[in-house]
Amino acid sequence: MGVIIALTLKEAMRRRAFLGTLIILVTLYGLSFLPRAFKEAFGGDERQFELGVNIAVLFGIDAIKFFSAVLAILLSAGAITAEIERGYLAAILPRPLYRWELYLGKWLGVMLFSAANATLWTAMLWASVALQGEPRVEMWRALPYVLLYPILYGTLALALSSFLGASIASMFTVALGAFAYFSDHFLRPIAAFFDVRLLQQMIWLSEWALPMATLKRLVQIQVDTILPPGFGERPRFGRPDVLEFLNPPVQPLDLAYVALYILVALTVGLVIFWRRDVQ
Amino acid sequence: MWAIETRNLRKVYRPLFGGNPITAVDNLNLQVPAGTVFGFLGPNGAGKTTTIQILIGNVYPTAGEAFVLGHRAGALAAKRKLGFLPEKFQFHDFLTAEEFLRMHGRLAKMDRTTLQRRIDEVLELVGLAERRTSKIREFSKGMQQRVGLAQAILHDPDLVILDEPTSALDPLGRRRVREVVQYLKERGKTVFLNSHLLSEVERSCDQVAIINKGRVIVQGTLDELLVNRSVVRVELRRVEPCVLEAAAKVAQKVHPVDERCFTAEVASEDDIPELARAILDAGGALIGLQAHRETLEDLFIQTVEAEGR
Repeated sequence: MGVIIALTLKEAMRRRAFLGTLIILVTLYGLSFLPRAFKEAFGGDERQFELGVNIAVLFGIDAIKFFSAVLAILLSAGAITAEIERGYLAAILPRPLYRWELYLGKWLGVMLFSAANATLWTAMLWASVALQGEPRVEMWRALPYVLLYPILYGTLALALSSFLGASIASMFTVALGAFAYFSDHFLRPIAAFFDVRLLQQMIWLSEWALPMATLKRLVQIQVDTILPPGFGERPRFGRPDVLEFLNPPVQPLDLAYVALYILVALTVGLVIFWRRDVQ
Repeated sequence: MWAIETRNLRKVYRPLFGGNPITAVDNLNLQVPAGTVFGFLGPNGAGKTTTIQILIGNVYPTAGEAFVLGHRAGALAAKRKLGFLPEKFQFHDFLTAEEFLRMHGRLAKMDRTTLQRRIDEVLELVGLAERRTSKIREFSKGMQQRVGLAQAILHDPDLVILDEPTSALDPLGRRRVREVVQYLKERGKTVFLNSHLLSEVERSCDQVAIINKGRVIVQGTLDELLVNRSVVRVELRRVEPCVLEAAAKVAQKVHPVDERCFTAEVASEDDIPELARAILDAGGALIGLQAHRETLEDLFIQTVEAEGR
């Protein structure tokens, strides 16, 4: 399996996908110096500067979540069916290795690569705020949960790639992610404020289908200390159940569900790849 | 012992969204003796590639059994002793020839010392020793096929399956492949060769099987299949029906070609003088008569046409 992991890592380096995201992130981190730039240009008190740095950190964490997930999708979606169609696996599959070794080798390769990139980007974020004299540790606290984003999306894309081509597998994964995002960020407030029961059930279902909102909450509780005032607070008026629906608390089993979800997606993809003809 | 054995092997592809099932392999019974060079022939769509994919474990049969070197096809024990050069392949072209072979050696669980020795040997054998540090993307299609051949024999397998190994090669490259096949044969290895280049197969193979519509039509040694038949090309001033009738009494088969020519298939070369006499006796104005031993190509075309493509 080590050979497959190494090959996947080499393949990822060759694609230079991470270079593209690195460039984008360097640009984004440039923005994290804005609080310092604004302070030096226009003055302002220390509290405003700290708030600016906190917002930059939160924004940076969101960017890491997004780009590491995109990177994992890009690398996973073409890992099985696309490689079969291109003929990359034609000489590898007859070798004395089980298909699960190949599948897990690819999964581990993608995950290691995505995790290494996310860690590197987190280090860049930490360095950029530390250089401004405002060191923060929240990004490191959030990192284990941020890493769940590429793991979740990469596993899903790999499972889909076991029977779909690269473009369709990535399209489905992105569509599922977009639906989960839309459901959590746009439908949830509508369902809460207008108390639409059917919509609330749909949102609940979408969270089971892709636990992105759960992941968001798991990350959020790690950065609670640097949230801007008023951010994430519940409205003062409203029925308790509606308010809880609007801003659900982290449950003890949330992390277990995310882990189970990843495991099930991994197993389903593996079984499909195990059972399919490769021609 | 059979290097490859299939018993009533069958593969049916059922379209995902309805439509008629396609039978690619239909009760295929094949026995490939160990230590031989075996030609696996058939027209396009005959089921050759599907059969090979079943043998290497990439495709699951719908029914029947396939065994490779005594193990069920696809089993790890079978794969350890198997080398395969695919017809359609894309190698990781960012690797050098040596890195590529090292990767395959590690996948084949070779130890470091043996692997280095074998890399040197096989690169020499396929004529790429000078290019060992070149990236595969810099190779021509023929060179890529040769590096593919090198990976197929790298771990010294007992059975080598070559799927169209000469399709991208020039005559020199084809000769190199013949030499590799000979090298394997001398070492007692079994070579299972799927090729449309029948002259290559005829030169290299001890036995052949011709399949069509997923079934074996003929199988045997080249001597068994070709020795007793000669095809005679007869040229006359004009081919009259009475001449054809007379020729048909001596020959096994008679095929008119045009107004001045026909071919006659005789059981052996001894029958040719009698055929000439019969033509002359029937009043045929004989201009020329040329006999040639039946080639594998003749056998292939006749067999497949008789089956009806």
